[in-house]
Amino acid sequence: MNALEVRGLVKHYPGVKALDGVDLVVRPNEVLGLAGENGAGKSTLLKALVGLVSPDQGQIFVRGQAVKLRNVVDAANHGIGMVFQEQSLVPNLTAAENIVLGSEGAGVRRGIYRWNEMRRLAQEQLDKIGSPIDPLARTDTLTFAERQMVEIAKVLRIEQRSQHPPVIILDEPTSVLESKEIETLFAQIRRLREFASVVFVSHRLDEVLDVCDRVTVLRSGQSVGEVATAGAVPRELHRMMIGSTGSDDHYHENAATPVTADQPRLSVRGLSGKSFHDVDLDVAAGEILAIVGVHGSGREDVCRALFGAEPTTAGEIRMDGTKVDLPSTRAACAAGIGYVPAERKIEGMVGSMSVADNMTLAKQKPRLTGPFVAPKKQAALVDSWIKRLSIRTPRRDTAIGRLSGGNQQKVVLARWLIGGDVKLLLLDHPTRGLDIGARSEVYRLMRELASSGVATVLLADSLEEAIGMADRILVMNDGRVAAEVACPSGGKPSPLDLVKEMV
Amino acid sequence: MSTSAATAAAPVAVKERPRLSGFMPIIALVALIAALTVADPDFLTQRSLTAVSRTAAPLILLAAGATIVVLCGGIDLSIAALASLSTVFLALWIPNLGGLATLAVIGVATLIGALQGTAHVLLRIPSFIVTLGGMSILSAVALVVSGAGTVRVVDDSTVKWLDLYVAGYVPMSFMVAVLVVALIALLLKVTPLQSWVSATGYAESAARLAGTPVDLVKIGAFAVSGACAGLAAVMLVSRQFSGGPTMADNLLLPAVAAIVVGGTAITGGHGSVWRSLAGALVVTLLRVGLPIVGVPSAYEQILYGAIIVVAVALTLDKSKVSIIK
Repeated sequence: MNALEVRGLVKHYPGVKALDGVDLVVRPNEVLGLAGENGAGKSTLLKALVGLVSPDQGQIFVRGQAVKLRNVVDAANHGIGMVFQEQSLVPNLTAAENIVLGSEGAGVRRGIYRWNEMRRLAQEQLDKIGSPIDPLARTDTLTFAERQMVEIAKVLRIEQRSQHPPVIILDEPTSVLESKEIETLFAQIRRLREFASVVFVSHRLDEVLDVCDRVTVLRSGQSVGEVATAGAVPRELHRMMIGSTGSDDHYHENAATPVTADQPRLSVRGLSGKSFHDVDLDVAAGEILAIVGVHGSGREDVCRALFGAEPTTAGEIRMDGTKVDLPSTRAACAAGIGYVPAERKIEGMVGSMSVADNMTLAKQKPRLTGPFVAPKKQAALVDSWIKRLSIRTPRRDTAIGRLSGGNQQKVVLARWLIGGDVKLLLLDHPTRGLDIGARSEVYRLMRELASSGVATVLLADSLEEAIGMADRILVMNDGRVAAEVACPSGGKPSPLDLVKEMV
Repeated sequence: MSTSAATAAAPVAVKERPRLSGFMPIIALVALIAALTVADPDFLTQRSLTAVSRTAAPLILLAAGATIVVLCGGIDLSIAALASLSTVFLALWIPNLGGLATLAVIGVATLIGALQGTAHVLLRIPSFIVTLGGMSILSAVALVVSGAGTVRVVDDSTVKWLDLYVAGYVPMSFMVAVLVVALIALLLKVTPLQSWVSATGYAESAARLAGTPVDLVKIGAFAVSGACAGLAAVMLVSRQFSGGPTMADNLLLPAVAAIVVGGTAITGGHGSVWRSLAGALVVTLLRVGLPIVGVPSAYEQILYGAIIVVAVALTLDKSKVSIIK
């Protein structure tokens, strides 16, 4: 009997079909890999499995029985537990308190903590995974990897709630770990397999192939295939993840123009801040520079520092040879720098405001006559950009929150273009959460901008995207620039070349 | 996810209907007048409507000013204390400055508002705390400056104009209040301020990353709130012929009630000064109406408290705030 089975799960969000009839089978004592690009529906599926999301259609079976999971406790009672991507431990409690939190059982008698009992309970969990962590250590004194072990120990508490072997879900557990820590984690996962089923999610295919017995691939909210990992090659999986549309000039390389500038548009020397040190970089007009690196490499902060949104302690930034000071985002805007943040919904757009207002938020001048908004001017301006970028919106005064992700992103991009004075664009994961069609359009737009002479710094969503789009790639590691890899059209490096420098 | 393709195939022609909630304050206002007329047929007379609008004027101003702060995502709890202090200043300064005293008081109130805004922005303290502290400080200053007593205005010729009636019926103070509301609304509408204020209130980090002058907008909002409190103080003095250190203190709760009853989101971004105008009228009518339906006015505070809680419960966008502290 299958430990867990999902049949035809459907979940709609406004404007997006996150799950479109997903099927999934988890057998007892196996490690199942779940692969898929961002936006393929992985997180929604996982949330449905632990009762954080209630599906619109479809069923979940636990050991052959159809169940309705209302919340995390409910899921735990059925023996399903999840280690979350963002850790869910309370930092100012001890590891033991965190492990038994919410299911104290014998650890609390008459409302009073019994520390010895708690310690014993926690130690029992830690022993299961053979972890040497002191249960009475405060959680915030532990390293990230140790905290993750605590999380796993905590999730294993669900064994107490159900008589059956548990199903443990690990959501992107390796994204912040170093290679040695990853080894330890994998050893744990193999140990877990002895008495539980594991669902392992990662966007690193090599890891998936390494630790899993079987992989299910999701694409656009559907399960598109299943592969036994023995003998499987990453390329095959990758093709399944991207689908056929990915292959034919997804990145519009034909539209790429060679960079022909002698003086760099942006020149950064010795830039240092809280999480990055001594960063040098140059971007020429019309060039796309991608910065790659693992989580914690400091690339996001460098990007924000170039927009004046993150304080710097040393170094200088020159635009077209002139030194610029960027104490605030306003100064950056005035210097002709535009920024598209990674968190589109929180930082990129103002959801309740109209397409027109969002588009003109950064550059007010084109819609003003004197200090006043000229409605006709604004209408003409906004409509022309809606047309130019083929933004699909009912009207220009529709709230941006009602558009699909790709169209929202186009509006956010348009914000920097309407002034006609943008020299440097900083794109922080511009395609995050977009479907393939929308992504392709964003790529096309980036090519157009580059050929019009805009310099671009790209923090890509995946290595493939960085390689596909960039003229040059900067690899960052631990806050420093580790390597620079040329990436001309026709002579692209392989992802492996980059990974070597990243970790 | 084939949503973009689907949207392309069927161009969405859905006209967004103006939401009913936009008319709620007006509906409440009309319903309230109707109910009061039923309870007391004498209510719907020119005389009582004049009295209501005259009572409402300072409240409208206080609510309108604080609305701007709320739209920016903050709150100004110091408005009533600032207005009280301003009445004291005005009463003290009229003998020496004459007509200039009015301008001086509004100027000082604006400055105090801006100062609180600056403290909020530069020291990165929640506006709730800054203005709560401000409320306490301003109240104490008012007590000290006034000697803890009412300051009588002997020659009120310079502020008397505010207590006159236009065309014999409409109180001048009400006209001024409506004019100020219209002015603020117009200023927001025809300049980029509207989008700056909404963006700041609804998604501050997005506004900041779009290069919006978030800090200046916030300081400006507090300054406007202060100015409105100053003008409200002038109205109070013109009516009472005196200034007092606690004269406007009981207007804080009604002003907050007016804002939330008007439907301005307490979380920021959504709302307008017109809504607060309607809200202030609703609150004033309730206040006037309680004795008519036979409820002792001692119960007034219960009403404000209940109104605030219920109105926020009805209008709070729970999808925006995941954790309610």
